[in-house]
Amino acid sequence: MVEKIGVYVCECGPNIADNVDIDKVMETISSLPGVEVVERHKLLCSQNGKKFLKESIQEHGLTRIVVAACSPKQHEVTFMKVCEEAGINPYLFQLTNIREQCAWIITDKELATERAIRYIRAALRRVPFHRDLAKKEIETNPDVLVIGGGIAGMEASLLLAGGDRKIYLIEKTDVLGGKVKELDKLLPRMESSLNIISQKIQEVEQSEDIKVYTKSEVEEVLGFLGNFVVKVKIGENKELELRVGAIVVATGFSMFDLKQLPRYGYGQYDNVYTALEFEKMNIDGKILLKDGKPPKSIGIIHCVGREERGYCSGVCCMYCLKFANYIKSKLPDADVSEFYQELSIPGKAHQKFYEDTKAKGVNFIRYDEVEVMDKGIKYKTESGEEKTSSVDMVVLAPAIEPSGDTGKLAEMLRVSQGDGGFFQEEHPKLAPVSTSMEGIFIAGCTQGPKNIPESIVQAQAVAGRILSSLIPGKKLELEVKTSEISEALCIGCQTCLEVCTYGAIYFDEMKRVSVVNEVLCRGCGNCVGSCPSGAASVKHFTTTQLHQEVVEALR
Amino acid sequence: MKGAILKVTENVANPIINFLEKGLDKKCFDAVLIPVKVPVGNSFAWVLIQNKSLLEDANPLPPVMPVQGAKALSSITRMGKTNKKIAAIMRPCEVRAAVELSKLEQVNLENIFLISIDCPGVLPLKDYLERPEEAMDKFNEILLGACPERSRRAQNDIEWGNESTRPACQVCDKFVGTDLGFCQSDLHIGILGTKDKNIFLIPNNEKGKSILNKMDIEAEKSMDNWEKKAKELMEVRKKKKKEVQERLKFKVMGIDNLLDVFSNCINCHNCRSACPICYCRQCYFESEKMKLPSDDYLMRAKSKGALRFLPDTLLFHLGRMTHMSLSCVGCGACEDACPMSIDVAQIFSFVADNSQGLFNYIPGKNAEEPLSLRIYKEDEFHEVET
Repeated sequence: MVEKIGVYVCECGPNIADNVDIDKVMETISSLPGVEVVERHKLLCSQNGKKFLKESIQEHGLTRIVVAACSPKQHEVTFMKVCEEAGINPYLFQLTNIREQCAWIITDKELATERAIRYIRAALRRVPFHRDLAKKEIETNPDVLVIGGGIAGMEASLLLAGGDRKIYLIEKTDVLGGKVKELDKLLPRMESSLNIISQKIQEVEQSEDIKVYTKSEVEEVLGFLGNFVVKVKIGENKELELRVGAIVVATGFSMFDLKQLPRYGYGQYDNVYTALEFEKMNIDGKILLKDGKPPKSIGIIHCVGREERGYCSGVCCMYCLKFANYIKSKLPDADVSEFYQELSIPGKAHQKFYEDTKAKGVNFIRYDEVEVMDKGIKYKTESGEEKTSSVDMVVLAPAIEPSGDTGKLAEMLRVSQGDGGFFQEEHPKLAPVSTSMEGIFIAGCTQGPKNIPESIVQAQAVAGRILSSLIPGKKLELEVKTSEISEALCIGCQTCLEVCTYGAIYFDEMKRVSVVNEVLCRGCGNCVGSCPSGAASVKHFTTTQLHQEVVEALR
Repeated sequence: MKGAILKVTENVANPIINFLEKGLDKKCFDAVLIPVKVPVGNSFAWVLIQNKSLLEDANPLPPVMPVQGAKALSSITRMGKTNKKIAAIMRPCEVRAAVELSKLEQVNLENIFLISIDCPGVLPLKDYLERPEEAMDKFNEILLGACPERSRRAQNDIEWGNESTRPACQVCDKFVGTDLGFCQSDLHIGILGTKDKNIFLIPNNEKGKSILNKMDIEAEKSMDNWEKKAKELMEVRKKKKKEVQERLKFKVMGIDNLLDVFSNCINCHNCRSACPICYCRQCYFESEKMKLPSDDYLMRAKSKGALRFLPDTLLFHLGRMTHMSLSCVGCGACEDACPMSIDVAQIFSFVADNSQGLFNYIPGKNAEEPLSLRIYKEDEFHEVET
């Protein structure tokens, strides 16, 4: 069938018109085979422009559309909608970019005009090979799996549990509460941590929509946004299969292993404690040396493992100040020294907390190098002076690390690990709680070291993302431009299975060919690029379509 | 390195055949895949033998390579593992191709017992078929070059991989089937360095050891002689390869030189058919995508001044090269198959050596090592970034 192609050149105000001779473009293009109509418009994306485009498509009974205008990133969807309204399949349209890739970058008008013609010719060559593609929708499951029963996981669960969806909260240990449960007081108000966390735990346990599984771990995750199938191992030998629409990872953190750094004397000398051990001591009510006597002088060392890990954990300075307050309130006469490399105390309430702490007579010592000895701390100042401070108790603030099973979980979820081994967010600024896998979200220290309010913010953000995207009863629109693998060409080498990041390809053992699961496929094209036999292709970007376009563009 | 020593009676093939017969007897394997001289004519073909008595006609080391062994093994096991155990006696380049194909799911090695054999090189198919008897004599002389005492000619007169063998063989430095040759057979048969009338059996892994065990062959003898000779020859080959590639570099540098080199090509695509690594069900260059309307050719003719037909000859070779370069084992089958005597194997393995070097990858070395293009490393090839 001979196609009736309409070509629409947008002036984009002066953006294109000033630097491309549109009359010449129209004259050249109108004589090409298949071109039914060539029109120009001042601003095709305007209301007026869209109306004009729609009416022109209908008037000429076009079967293919080429719009020469801006980047597809900007208005491809706009014009696809117009096509739909005009009664033509939106995939029979091609947007060719004569603004960013032409008018804006080529200063010579004649050259820019020649280039615009070339691009439009390429699009004209491509569109006859376009095929009708149909939208597909699938049912979604609104339920959510939350991995990790710490403050972030519980907060997300509570917000998500609104009556119309079920939340499955998986906790590795036998209790909810996470690390917050191991803290004595919370700064800056010095309120009891236990009160706050117990209240959350109670709310979670009382919620009818949240099902908590303790001593449980995720074993396998299949599927995609809206339709995940998750295998959970409960206790020693019970297994459970859950179907959910989204997954929240809130697996928290671990502390840097101090055994790796013998210079801090941990495990070697008595009365050297980690931050969490010191919290425990305070929860139990008394700060005491091993021999049962109260310490006279305590050194708190910041930045333990910071250089080794390559990042600042951000929360230690503040809790070390809190420790000084613990000590000053329990042992007012004890001498307290904070050994730090850099002080990190941003936040609207923190400066005051720092000054108040300092006013209580706490020493602040900036060190360049530090070493814990028996009953003392040896350090080198910035100016290179070596000094020794005699202390009878040392508290260490180790770096925050991703929790131990992050690697295993990341692999299972097909989400990559970023800096420091923490889960990689989709975008560090614009999408900090989503991941490259749609439907999998991260909250709290699993994404990177952070304090409690930051973890809460992330948990709430995750809840917002899920509540707005996974609406009960609403169907999910699938990717249209999915990959397909030709049964006739596939030789069964299974390279595509290895490069597919979405787990969207499986191998048909009977036919010995690879098959694409269209529900999971996002049309990234990894399989197409790696298929040695040319059997895989992405709809709307087939080899033929690209070949035709490129051949013409290069002619 | 430890192994067993078997006595040579009439010729080198003899103890190998006896060994295979014994293996069938002891049910170490149920069938043998081995080259056999065709009954009519002079060529050799791969034959799957279950009947012990037919092994007599087999030749584990034929003078030519009409079909690359990995291709034969692929046609047997492409649909999955065999139910019976098969011993395949192949040259190291054939074993490496088979291992490479196993990564691409075109060979299943599960029930295959890979036996490699020191390779003296093979003769060009054309030379052999012109004067088969003369060529056979020549080949036997080369073979005996491994044990100069048995040669009718003077010592050192005849070397493995000398000028009567194919160019690919002359510069091959992976002609042994052990770690030395980056080859992963289960059992290797050594012929080099046998001063007396022996061959060496060198197990490369537990599978190889267990079969020797089952056949009551003790593999505790020192293989130092073999290793020494193999290493010596390897050094010679490496040097030669370097010289040859240094010359070749100028011959193929740039598009004009490449066009010249491939100007004799008649587009028969025999090189592709003979290549063990080229396994696509349909070659892109024979697909509909390469069939263009006449207007296209007229336009290309106009822009270039003239257009050669059949079209896209160089594109075919470059396309094939990009496809199989990382897995090319340098066996030389393509060049043997070329009716126009184009140096296709030399060019392809020269490029392959370089592309494989980029990934520090040796095809067929290890079945567990993933194909280079299947692994993603964030930190590599910064030179291609702009």
